[in-house]
Formats: sequence, structure tokens, C-alpha cells
Amino acid sequence: MASVLARSILLRQQTSAHRIGYTTPLKIKSCYISYAAAPKEKSPENYTRYHEVSAENWRFVERLIPPTFVPSYPKNGNYSSDWTPPADTPPNLPYFVKRTKNYMVPVYLKFEEVRNERKITIIRHIEGDIWVLEKAIKSHLESLSKRPVVSQVHEVAMHIKFRGDYVNEVKKWLLNAGF
Amino acid sequence: MAVKIINKTVTDFSLRVTRCFFVPTKTIHSNVALFQDNLDTSLTSIEVNRSPLPIISSRKLAFPPKFKVPRQVWVSNMDTVEEEKLGLIDLHPEVFADRPRMDIIHENVRWQQLYRHVSYAHTKMRYEVRGGGRKPRPQKGSGRSRHGSIRSPIWVGGGIVHGPRSPTSYFYMLGFNARLNGLRSTLSAKLAQDDLQVVDSLDIPTDDPKYLETLIEERGWGPSVLFVDDNDIMPLNITAASDGFGHFNLMPVYGLNVYSMLKHSTLVLTLAAVERIEERILFHLNRNDAAQAASKYRLDNF
Repeated sequence: MASVLARSILLRQQTSAHRIGYTTPLKIKSCYISYAAAPKEKSPENYTRYHEVSAENWRFVERLIPPTFVPSYPKNGNYSSDWTPPADTPPNLPYFVKRTKNYMVPVYLKFEEVRNERKITIIRHIEGDIWVLEKAIKSHLESLSKRPVVSQVHEVAMHIKFRGDYVNEVKKWLLNAGF
Repeated sequence: MAVKIINKTVTDFSLRVTRCFFVPTKTIHSNVALFQDNLDTSLTSIEVNRSPLPIISSRKLAFPPKFKVPRQVWVSNMDTVEEEKLGLIDLHPEVFADRPRMDIIHENVRWQQLYRHVSYAHTKMRYEVRGGGRKPRPQKGSGRSRHGSIRSPIWVGGGIVHGPRSPTSYFYMLGFNARLNGLRSTLSAKLAQDDLQVVDSLDIPTDDPKYLETLIEERGWGPSVLFVDDNDIMPLNITAASDGFGHFNLMPVYGLNVYSMLKHSTLVLTLAAVERIEERILFHLNRNDAAQAASKYRLDNF
């Protein structure tokens, strides 16, 4: 009602201006519609048709939706892959290496290729005495590779870096330790 | 009045259930009566002061920690000035006993201060400085150096080349995990330094500011206190009581931030707030699509 009135006033002004021959300052034409004048929302049937196909087939959709959280692993022990679960009791050591969300061992390879390739093995999720862990792994890697291994211990971020690709060796060592 | 607390935590579920059905018929000011096995229900009914204690004796933790030990805190009351311990609850070690990372806390504080900062410092460049449109002297003939304008940067009073330009925003978004771990580190630091208190709710009996002041003084809660509740509409009494104080502040859980937690010496959480904080932080720590959720805060994405 109000909008219709506003529009009519504007028109009257425009026509009067044209007759007299001078230009009135332009009014911003408001095209709002009031709540009372707006069409009200109807029930869904007026907008779209739908019909239920089947309720029991919803499980085919459900199983495609990824789960919110990572489900727990089966405890039976028959794993078709290389993966082994973490130990039920923590090993009696001054350090602990926690598994990731997906129950993987937290050893990663950082690979950079700037002129010469640069490979760094990173161990994350370390708790406890990080220096003792570093010493243990370093001596193991040096015995395997028969050459010195350069390492970095980051006490604040609690990670260890080894220069070189020792990912598989470190993972094996950690799994043997029970982490 | 001295409160004698028997060193016995009630963890037996059946006991807890049966106690709930006994309505205590005398006003309770000590916890002794409620650890007794036979409650005296023969007295004439007097107004009930509080529901049967302990209100919370055990709390089920989501994502139960495998090897880390849950931390325990007392649940206090706000009804009386002197502290009454209503129960003992477990706090999840991943949230409240994480190794505090000073660098991440610093990053969060820096981000909170800087993301809203706008620098209004401004210097004029050579085309903005008044004058300097005309060539001062002909190119050749005067024997002096050649110049195109008196406002070039090499001139005194000329424009500044790489000076501050107003307005300069310093907005940036800290990564999702940096902010999440900032909250974890700060909460852990607060608990470790005995600056974290848990209360059942923020309902106080009067809106007198003196009541709140004496309560905090009595309990040795720090000069500044931050009260955190799950709801953003706080009870009237505590709102009125803390209104005059700049150092007692109320905050909903969604407003919890590292800077405020560090600014206030004591952090007081309600039980509901503890539940909500733990639920949210543990959700983000354990969610399957964490990389996807955090990707929008990566530097190359905005």
C-alpha cells in the first residue's frame, strides 16, 4: 500500500515537472514491497513435486557419506596390509611417539628439489625425553648406513629431523619399540 | 564455618543414583552430612538449599585418552562467599594438559592485536606534494644539475618514495590449527599455574558488587577474573555485580580467546562451558576432514 502510494507520488511529480518545464531533483525510486503486500510462502507441494522412493535404500547413500570421525580399527589382527596397530600398553621408555588420527606412524619425508635434491625425515608427535629418543634412533640409523647422520632436535615443537631418507627404517624401529 | 570434607570420592554409580532420590530436608552448609550413608529424613521439611552432593563425581570424557591421565579439578559454588566444593571432575588431558607452546601463544596474541590494526600514517608522494609541476630550469645552459620537478624525492621537501600510505591494513588470518592449539596451550597453562577454576553456574544470590568482590578476595582468585559460560545471556545478578568492575568480565564460550585468557589472571569456567570447550576442541582434533576445514585459512587461499 505504502509502496504503491510512493510510486504514484513519484509519477505525479514527474508528469508535473514535464508540463511546467523544469527538472525536479531526482528521487530514488524505491521498489520495496511491504510485508503485508508480499505473497506468503505456501506449502512445499506448491513449489515442487517429490515422492519417496524407498526408505530402506537410504543405506546406500549413508555408506557413501564419509564418517565425521575416524572409526576404531578392528582388534582381531588379520590385516591384509603392512599396517600394525599400536601396542595396548605404552612401552616402558622415557619417551612416547603417538600415532596420528588415522593410526599411522608419524614419520614423514620432506622432499625439496632446489638444484640438488634435499630429503629430510621428520618424526612428529613425540612426548617425553626427546634427546634420549634422538640418540637411540640416530645410533640405529648410523649402524645401518655406516655413515654419520645429521639430526635436528626441536624441543619446542617436539619433532626430530634427520638429513636423508630414512622413513622406512625409522618406521620399522618405532614399530619394533611398540609405538 | 569449617567445612570437613571426608577424603572419599563417590564413583559408584548405584550409590550416586540412590542419593539422588533422598531429598535432604535440612539446609546444608557442610559436605559431611552428604557423605553419610543414612540421611535423616524424619526432620520437618525446611527449605532445600542445594541438590544432593556431590553434584558431579565423575564425568565421561569424549575420546577417552589412552595413556594420558585426566586432570582433576574441584567444582566450586558461587552461592556463598566462602568456597564450598560441590564435586570433583575430570578434565580431558588433550585440552587441559597439553604441552604449552609459547611460540603458538605468542603467535595468537600477535594475531589478535594485529589483525584489526589499521595504520593511518601517511606521507605524500611526489605527485601529491603541492607544487612541482614545472621544470625548475632549462635542461642545459645553467651549469647546474638537471631537474624535472622541485618535488622529486631527491629534493628537500619533496615527496617520499616508499613511505607509509594510509590506510594500511594489517589483517591476516592465523591458521586454524595455530588458533586451536593456542587455545589448548593457554588452557593448559592456566590449569597448570592454578589459575583455572570451575564453578557449577554463575548464579549469585545478590547483585551487590561487594558480594562478588569479597567472594573473589576470599578465595584468592586473582586481581582480574574472566567468567566464561556457555550461554551469552548471563544471569542478571552477576551482570549487575560485575558491571562496575573493569577487571571482572563475563564471556560466552564462543568469545574465548588467548589474549583475554592471558589478560585476566584467573579464568573461571562453568561446568557447561567446560563441556562445550572440550566438545568443540576434541571435535576439531579428531575430525576426519580437518585438512579440508583448515584449508580456507591457508595463505594461498585468501
